[in-house]
Amino acid sequence: MASFKTYLIKRIILALVVIYFVITITFILSHVVPSDPAELYVGPKATAEQREKAIKELGLNQPIYIQYLRYFQNLVNGDLGKSLRAHTPVLHDILTYLPATLEIVVLANIVALIVGVAFGSYSALKKDMLADHLIRIVSVGGVSIPSFWFALITQLVFFGILGIFPLDSRLSSDIQLFNPIHTITGFYTIDALITGNIVALVDSVRHIILPAFVLATYPIGLVTRMVRSMMVEVLNENYIRFAKANGFKDNLIYYKYALKNALTPALMALGLSFAYSITGAFLVEVIFSWPGLGTYTVNAILENDYPAILGVTIFGTIFYVFINLFLDILQAYLDPRVRLQ
Amino acid sequence: MLNSNAFRKAISKIAIIGIAVIVIIAGLGAYLYYTQYSIPNLKSSLVYAYVSDFPDLDPSIAFEDEQVILANMYEALVFYNASNTNNPLTPWLATSWSHSPDGLEWTFNLRKGVLFHDGSELKASSVKSAIERTIRMGLGAAYIWDAVKEIQAVDDYTVKFVLDYPAPLAQIASSQYGAWITGPSTPSNDTQATEWFNQGKDSGTGPYMIEKYEAGFQVVLAKFDKYWKGWSGNHVEKVLVKSVRDPTARLQAIKAGEADITLDLPVDYLEELKTNENVRIISVPSYRNLLGMINTKQAYTDNVLIRQAISYAFPYDAVVKNVMQEYATQSRGPIPVGMLGHFEDLTQYTYNLEKAKQLLSQAGYPNGGFTLTLTYTSGDELEKQVAELYKAELEKLGITLEIKEMTTKAKYALARGDPTQAQHILLFYWWPTYITPYDFLYSLFHTEKKVIFNFAYYYNSTYDDLIDTASQLEGTDLNKALQLYRQAQEQVVEDATSLFILDMDTIMIANKKVHNFNPNSAYTEVVFFYDVWVEA
Repeated sequence: MASFKTYLIKRIILALVVIYFVITITFILSHVVPSDPAELYVGPKATAEQREKAIKELGLNQPIYIQYLRYFQNLVNGDLGKSLRAHTPVLHDILTYLPATLEIVVLANIVALIVGVAFGSYSALKKDMLADHLIRIVSVGGVSIPSFWFALITQLVFFGILGIFPLDSRLSSDIQLFNPIHTITGFYTIDALITGNIVALVDSVRHIILPAFVLATYPIGLVTRMVRSMMVEVLNENYIRFAKANGFKDNLIYYKYALKNALTPALMALGLSFAYSITGAFLVEVIFSWPGLGTYTVNAILENDYPAILGVTIFGTIFYVFINLFLDILQAYLDPRVRLQ
Repeated sequence: MLNSNAFRKAISKIAIIGIAVIVIIAGLGAYLYYTQYSIPNLKSSLVYAYVSDFPDLDPSIAFEDEQVILANMYEALVFYNASNTNNPLTPWLATSWSHSPDGLEWTFNLRKGVLFHDGSELKASSVKSAIERTIRMGLGAAYIWDAVKEIQAVDDYTVKFVLDYPAPLAQIASSQYGAWITGPSTPSNDTQATEWFNQGKDSGTGPYMIEKYEAGFQVVLAKFDKYWKGWSGNHVEKVLVKSVRDPTARLQAIKAGEADITLDLPVDYLEELKTNENVRIISVPSYRNLLGMINTKQAYTDNVLIRQAISYAFPYDAVVKNVMQEYATQSRGPIPVGMLGHFEDLTQYTYNLEKAKQLLSQAGYPNGGFTLTLTYTSGDELEKQVAELYKAELEKLGITLEIKEMTTKAKYALARGDPTQAQHILLFYWWPTYITPYDFLYSLFHTEKKVIFNFAYYYNSTYDDLIDTASQLEGTDLNKALQLYRQAQEQVVEDATSLFILDMDTIMIANKKVHNFNPNSAYTEVVFFYDVWVEA
C-alpha cells in the first residue's frame, strides 16, 4: 500500500496549499476593497477618539503585512477574529448558522440521491422510449433552472396559490412562541423529534420541504444524468452481456452489477455539489428567510464586515477541499487505477 | 460464482423494508396533517417583523437599531414622551429630579420597589455603576455623558450627577442610546459583560426578558413576572421580533397575519395596503432629515447669493409629493418637524426659479454657466432620485450639476479633505442621539478644527456662541434656550448653508387587531410591547 500512502500525503499537501492561497487572496481582496472597518466597528456617529481607539484595537494602524501575519497567527489558534458589526467571534457565528444550512443541504442531497438514482437507472433501461425522454427533459431542466427563480415560483404556487406550504423561515411564529424547540443538534426536525415536540416537528417539516426541494433540483438533474449515461455505457459492456447470456435475472444484472459501477461517479459529483451547497445555498436561503450560513454571508458582504467574510470563505474552502480530498481518497482506495495517474 | 438466489432474496428484503419505511412515514405524515395541531386561541403574543438584526445587545454600546429590543428590557431614568410637546420629560425609573440654579448638579429620586430581572432591587449604586460603565467604555453613544464629572449615590434612592459644564441632564438620561440602567447581574469585567449581553442575557428592569436569542435572526421576549407596573389589564406576554430584511417578505407577513406589526415598506406597497381592511398605516415624524450640505469654501458656492439661488431652485414639492408620496414634509431649517426646537414659522426656501435667476444676476452669473458637483452614497435610491431631479432644475438656470455616486467612506474622505477641493453639495441624513436641537446644530454647523460632519465648512463665531449658550441653558431655562436656537437656525437658513430638503416619516404598519399602539418618535421604531394588546 506504499503508493496509496504517497498519494495520500501528496493530496493532503496539495489541499493545504490550496487553502493557504485562498486565505491569502481573500485577505488581500478584503483589504483593497474600499471600506471603513473602523467606522463599521464604532458606528456612523462616533467621535474621532472612538474611531482612533477602534483603529488601534483592530490593528488597522499597522502595515498590511503585519495584519496579515497576525491574522494567520490567530487563525492557527482557531481564532477567526471578531465580526466588526456584532463584535461576536466569527467562528461562533459560523457554528451557530451552520446547522440550519446543513439541515436543508443534507436533506436535499438525500432526496437527490434517491430520486436521481431511480430516474437515471430507469431512464437507462427505457433508453429512447417516452419515459427516457421525459426524464431527460426533467434532468436537463433541473441542472439549468436558476434556483432563485425556481424558489420564487414554488413560493408563488405552494404558498400563494395552493396555500399548502408556509412562505419562509424555519418555524411558524406561534410554534416559536408557544412550542419552542429545545436546541440540541441545531437540526430542528431532529431536535423536535428527540424532544418529542410533535407539533414543532410537523411545523418544521412543513417549512423545510420547499427550500429542500428547490435545493435538490440541481443535484437531482446531475445524478440522473450521470447515472443514466453510466448505466447506458455499462449495460453495453461484455460482462453484462455475459451475465445475460448466462441467464441471470434482469433485475439482478441491473441493480447488482450495472448500477454499482454506474453509481461511483454520481456519488463523487453529489459529494462536491454537497460541499458547494454549504455556502452556495445563499440564494435559496435568502428567499426563504432561512437562517443559515448563506444568509449570514450575504449580510456580511452587504455590511462589508470583512472578518466575517474572510471567516466564511476560509470555512467554506476547508470544507470543500476536505470533502474533495475525502472523495478522492475514497476513489483511490476503491479503484487502484486512480492512484497511478 | 455468486449465488443469484441469495441476492434476489436480499434485494427483495431491502425492497420490503424500504416500502415499509415509506408507508410508515407517509402514514404518520398524513395522520399529522389531518389532525392539525392546535394553536392557543388566546392572543397573548405579538410578532414584530423588523427590518434589520440587532448587532450589539450591550446596552452601554448599542447604537444602531437595538433600542427596538432594549427599550422593552431596560428602562432609563427619564422617559421622553414625544407626543406631549410641552412637557415631554416624564418619570420612568426616577420619580422626580431637580438641578442646582447653575445647572451643574442634578439630583434624581429613584422609584422604590423596582426589581431587576435577577430579583435584586433598583438602588442608586446600580444607576451609578451602569452609567459609569457606559462612560468608561467610551463606545456607542457614551459621549452624551460628556459633561458628567462625578456620579454620587447619596442614599439608596438618590443619585447626584456633578457636571463639568451645564447640560440638560434629564433629557440626556432619556436617550434611547447609552442611557439604559443595567443591574448588578452584569459581569464586572466590561468586555466579558459585552459577550454576556450578546449571548442573549440581560440585566434590566423592563417588562420583558429574552427567552431565546438567535443572533442575526430573531429574539423571543417573555414577560418579567415581577415588573414594577404589574400585569393586570391587557398585555402581551410573549413577543417574537424577527429580522425580515426583504420588504416583499414583510409585506407578505403583514398581509398573511404572520406579523402583527412591521415597518418601512416601499411607497407602492403602501398604496396596495391602503385598501386592505385588516391593517392600518401609522405615520409619525422620524426626527430624521435629508440635507444637501452646501460647501461655503468652494468656488461659486462661497457666494451666499449663489447658495440662496440654488436653494430656490430645489423642487421641494415634487420630491415630497412624487418621490415620497407625502410620507415626508419639506424641512423648515435643520431641526425636523415635531422635534424640540422645530419652529413652524421659521424661514423656508420654496421652489422659485424666478427668484433664483434674480439672485444669480445679482451674483454676476445671470445665465449660470458653471458646474457644481454633488456627492451621494451609492445604493441610496432616495438620494439618487433627489440628485437627478435637482440636476434638471439647475440646468434651467444654466448650471450643470455633476452627480457623483460614492461609497460612504469615499464620500467622507473627499468631504473631510481640503474644503476648496471638496464637493459643492453633499447629500446625507441626520438624526439626533438624544432629543436636543444642539445635536443637529452643533454637528452640522458648529466650527470644527478638523472636519467631522460640518460639510458646509461653515465657521461663524456668532452662531457658535448662540448654540453653545443655548445648550448650557437648555436644562435650566428652556424657553430662553429655544429662543437662541431659533436665532441660530434663522442664521444658517439665511446663509443657505445647506439645502433643507425633507423631514422623513417613520411608517409603521399594524394589524387592526393591535390596540393602543402609538409610536414615540423619541424611541426610533420601538414598539413598547407592554402598552399594546392584541385582539384574539
